Amino acid sequence: MVRVLIVEDERKLAQVLSSALAAEHFDVVVAATGEDGFYRANAELFDLVVLDLMLPGRSGLEILQTLRQRRIETPVLILTARDGVDDRVLGLDLGADDYLVKPFALPELLARIRALLRRGRPSDVFRLKAGDLELDLVTRRVVRADRLIDLTAREFELLEYLLRQQGHLVSREMLARDVWKEPRRATPLDNVIDVQIARLRRKVDTEGAARLIHTVRGVGFVVREGEP
Amino acid sequence: MRRWWHRAPIRVRLTVWYSAALTVLLIVYASATYVAVRHEFHERLEEEAHIETSGAALNPEQRIEQQLDEILVVLALGLPLIVGLAGIAGYMLARRALRPIDHLAADARRITADRLHERLSIANKHDEIGRLAAVINDAFGRLESSFEQLRRFTADASHELRTPLAVIRGTGELGLAETRTPAEYKEAMGSMLEEVDRLTRLVDTLLQLSRGDAGTVRLSPEVVNLGDLAREVGGSLSVLADERRQRVHITAQPDAVVRADRLVLRDAITNVLDNAIKYGPAGTVIDVRVETGPGVAVLAVTDEGPRIPEEHRSRIFDRFYRVDEGRSRETGGTGLGLAIAKWAVEANGGQIAYESNGAGSTFRISLPRGTGAAEESRS
Repeated sequence: MVRVLIVEDERKLAQVLSSALAAEHFDVVVAATGEDGFYRANAELFDLVVLDLMLPGRSGLEILQTLRQRRIETPVLILTARDGVDDRVLGLDLGADDYLVKPFALPELLARIRALLRRGRPSDVFRLKAGDLELDLVTRRVVRADRLIDLTAREFELLEYLLRQQGHLVSREMLARDVWKEPRRATPLDNVIDVQIARLRRKVDTEGAARLIHTVRGVGFVVREGEP
Repeated sequence: MRRWWHRAPIRVRLTVWYSAALTVLLIVYASATYVAVRHEFHERLEEEAHIETSGAALNPEQRIEQQLDEILVVLALGLPLIVGLAGIAGYMLARRALRPIDHLAADARRITADRLHERLSIANKHDEIGRLAAVINDAFGRLESSFEQLRRFTADASHELRTPLAVIRGTGELGLAETRTPAEYKEAMGSMLEEVDRLTRLVDTLLQLSRGDAGTVRLSPEVVNLGDLAREVGGSLSVLADERRQRVHITAQPDAVVRADRLVLRDAITNVLDNAIKYGPAGTVIDVRVETGPGVAVLAVTDEGPRIPEEHRSRIFDRFYRVDEGRSRETGGTGLGLAIAKWAVEANGGQIAYESNGAGSTFRISLPRGTGAAEESRS
């Protein structure tokens, strides 16, 4: 079982995080203060640490620095409320593996955590599947129930991303950044994403076939067989 | 003559006043001296006549000395007196000339943030103080309009932030009021999350704008081909145009090259083009034209949508300003798109303007042309 340490002083947020991770079948430990977090990260073995940077007592950056100085190489994902570049850069410089700016979407956090845990393992996937839908990354062909589906380049990338996150929620923000490579939120991309998803769905989930691409209102999308 | 006097600057009036005062005083001084000397001479003549009759005698040299001494006394007493009088006259003149400054100060003290509509009173608009007061009044005017803008912005921002908050609160309260089916709960939570998303985007955008205001955004300028950038943005928004059966038609001169922060500039073009797609009627053409002029590269986006009425044009780039309240909210805009576009263009040293000639609306972004080749070889 994957063990995750959450160092977060805001009780409500810590609770949400811990429930979300527990739902993904992780073994979750919560530390509510910097000292406690530091002690646990040093004394116990974790597969991943989710670290809030603004903590009372010992700050997140301090904990991170000390951990790395002691050659504890557990992947660390930092959470920061400040969206200034300096904070992030400092965190990454000190050895954090990834960061998220509050307020973040849970699907996004889960995707990042999965990515960090996957890291180092080779991904030898050439073919992605969901039900009777098959996407071939080499020939770039998409087939559903033996019917070839003609997709545009963007639709292909979108479907590929959704299939890679199969069974997991994908937020519009994640799509904007990872599929559209759009680093900023201040652009009107949400409409574009919605339209693109609608088109993809028209091609993939044709009448008669079971629905694969689901919209979860207020959160985003998920590819899954059966109900979302 | 009177007219000229009023138009004359203070330095001229002071000079004239003071010269006049000094002339009067000098005439008085000279006359007094003259009278004194004349009196001495007469005395001497009388004495000489007296000597001739009596024969008793001071020698002439001694007498001249004596008379010169007396003249010296007159001069020595008169000079400080005249200097003193001249000083007093100068003081009074200066006080009179500078009195408007005291009035100005009193006026200025009266004007506070709440009373920015008041202005300094100007006694004489032609002299230095009048001109100074006019300049200060101008500054107050600009201050007043920025204050007004800020006040409006704060009111608008809190309104925009309150709306999603009210929806979240209402949905939550309603959801908890009775026991509902899981589907209904999902619906309620989804609705709340949508509003949270809207709030987040709003806060992000406001943050970006306020960073822009504070000048803390670090731009990384590079050589950007405006035509390529327009095609890139057009490509990413083409699905939106497709949905409305619109066609985005891009024509670009290949040498329209500027030096700008690519991402920031892309924000501007994206917002302007998105705007055109939203307001252009279904089935029409949106024309994007990239051209060059002397020293500038221009990107113009024209749609066939309704023209923006004259009275709104000066404010369309204001934050949260909406020409048609209902319509834009429906399309899901934050009301900040054009404000972001304006900031993004100006941060890159350019200008953005709205114009309308006959049918449709045009947003014109002009940027100083970057000498592409030279810049590239330098970096």
